[in-house]
Amino acid sequence: MTATLQKKICMLGAFSVGKTSLVKRFVESVFSETYLTTVGVKIDKKTVDLSDLTVSLILWDLAGEDDISSLRMSYLRGSAGYVLVADGTRPSTLEVAMSLRRRVETDFGPLPFVLLLNKNDLREEWAVRDEEVQDLQQSGWWVRSTSARTGEGVDDAFGTLAERVVR
Amino acid sequence: MEGVPTTIAEQLQTLLCSERAVAYLQVDSGLNLVGAGGQLNAYGLAGLRLGEQAAEQAFFLEGFLPPVDTPFVVPSMELPSGRAADLHFFLQDDTFLVVLLDVSAERDAARRIQQKAYDMTLAREREALLNRRLEAANAALLATQDELEASRDALARAHDQVQAQAAELAAWNKTLEERVAAQLGELERMARLKRFFAPSLAELIVSSGNERILESHRRDIAVLFCDLRGFTAFAESAEPEEVMALLHDYHAALVPLIQQFEGTLDRFVGDGLMVYFNDPLPCPNPAERAVGLAVAMRDSVAALARTWRRHDYQLGFGIGIAQGFATLGQIGFEGRFDYSAIGTVINTAARLCEAAKDGQILITSRLATSVADAADVREIGPMALKGLRRELAVCNVEALKAA
Repeated sequence: MTATLQKKICMLGAFSVGKTSLVKRFVESVFSETYLTTVGVKIDKKTVDLSDLTVSLILWDLAGEDDISSLRMSYLRGSAGYVLVADGTRPSTLEVAMSLRRRVETDFGPLPFVLLLNKNDLREEWAVRDEEVQDLQQSGWWVRSTSARTGEGVDDAFGTLAERVVR
Repeated sequence: MEGVPTTIAEQLQTLLCSERAVAYLQVDSGLNLVGAGGQLNAYGLAGLRLGEQAAEQAFFLEGFLPPVDTPFVVPSMELPSGRAADLHFFLQDDTFLVVLLDVSAERDAARRIQQKAYDMTLAREREALLNRRLEAANAALLATQDELEASRDALARAHDQVQAQAAELAAWNKTLEERVAAQLGELERMARLKRFFAPSLAELIVSSGNERILESHRRDIAVLFCDLRGFTAFAESAEPEEVMALLHDYHAALVPLIQQFEGTLDRFVGDGLMVYFNDPLPCPNPAERAVGLAVAMRDSVAALARTWRRHDYQLGFGIGIAQGFATLGQIGFEGRFDYSAIGTVINTAARLCEAAKDGQILITSRLATSVADAADVREIGPMALKGLRRELAVCNVEALKAA
């Protein structure tokens, strides 16, 4: 019988980078053009089949903040891993993601995480420099560009994180 | 509720329960659900099974059990049902209580405010981005403008250069046209002159650039006549071809000498030639040149005569030279002009030529005086020449003096 695990995963990032849209794309395979800001935290669940086990990811979609000091770190209690999300068309959101990662590591230690550069469908407006991404990858970060609108890279990103949190 | 009457406290409890959709979960130390109640349906928690793992049934508890410290609150958690709740964790005896209080209304109110704030921030970011792009586009435009201005300057310089080259080319063209016109004019003049004059004389006139020298004028000239002795008898007895061949050799020997001494060949008349010096172009020492030419002619014909004698041609060669003023210029009429000299000096030279025996170069005593430094002459004495009223003192040129 295949064992089933349940793992808490937090979605972190600046506001309007597409955290809720990525969860919606991953859980329901849909995308909404309407931006609706998240207040507090939004809980969802998605079961992922890995090679030898099934993992239920409990997704904590945290409100994006433009002032990261206001992030309620209590939400991250009990997290097995987290998804950092940045908007590829807004370089400042990558800085927010890097800052969040430092805070999480300070409070909770080295948890597994992935960095998603979202809105890959807006390539003409892409503003994050390739060199910056390459530097992060060379320092060991798992980085992917994704699009909640088209679904590109989304399942792969959550699947990769699921593998990381159970191994 | 201290200081609050029981009835009011009970009313508030009722109000809280109905407004906040109060529900609770009770979890033991083995993390099993041991109790649940309240408005569980409002949170999608119907059908809970007591005695089983709490987090598997209420998955939002994953990671929170057991709570590290109590009381503990997770604020504004939106569940899949869409309802938002504050989760309050309490410790009661050996169990944990999780109380859910509905905060959907507060969540909605906060969302409206937050949405506006974020929309404004996004608009500002968008505006800043657009401004940066505008500035970049503006900078690119300015750079393009600079490039265009540089190109325009370069083009203007190139234009000026082309204009200068065009002007230079036009000047060259003009010069060339003038030269071509001048050459054409010269050719035309040459062609016109060659119709009337010997080619050498025509070239001389053209190269002097002054056709006025053809106008009638008087000048002191040295005139040389020469012809063959016995030619008339020879021409009567010889075949025409022999006569023409002999004349050809004779002229071929003499004409180059005339050119060498820069004499003007006036005409051929059979075996006779008339040459003069100092006209149409002036030359220094015309008398000496005439005598020099005569000696050269005599030597040249003497060489020819040795051949002629082998053919039994009995021919001699005589020369007469005189110096004096003559009238020279164009004579004739349209279609047939000639350039010639008229005057006593011409007759004198012709008569001296007639009087000369084979090998003689007869000159007037006046001319002998003027060439005394250049030639050895021997006085022959006064001679009565045909057409001249008075006898003339005549000399023969023996040889040229060594230079």
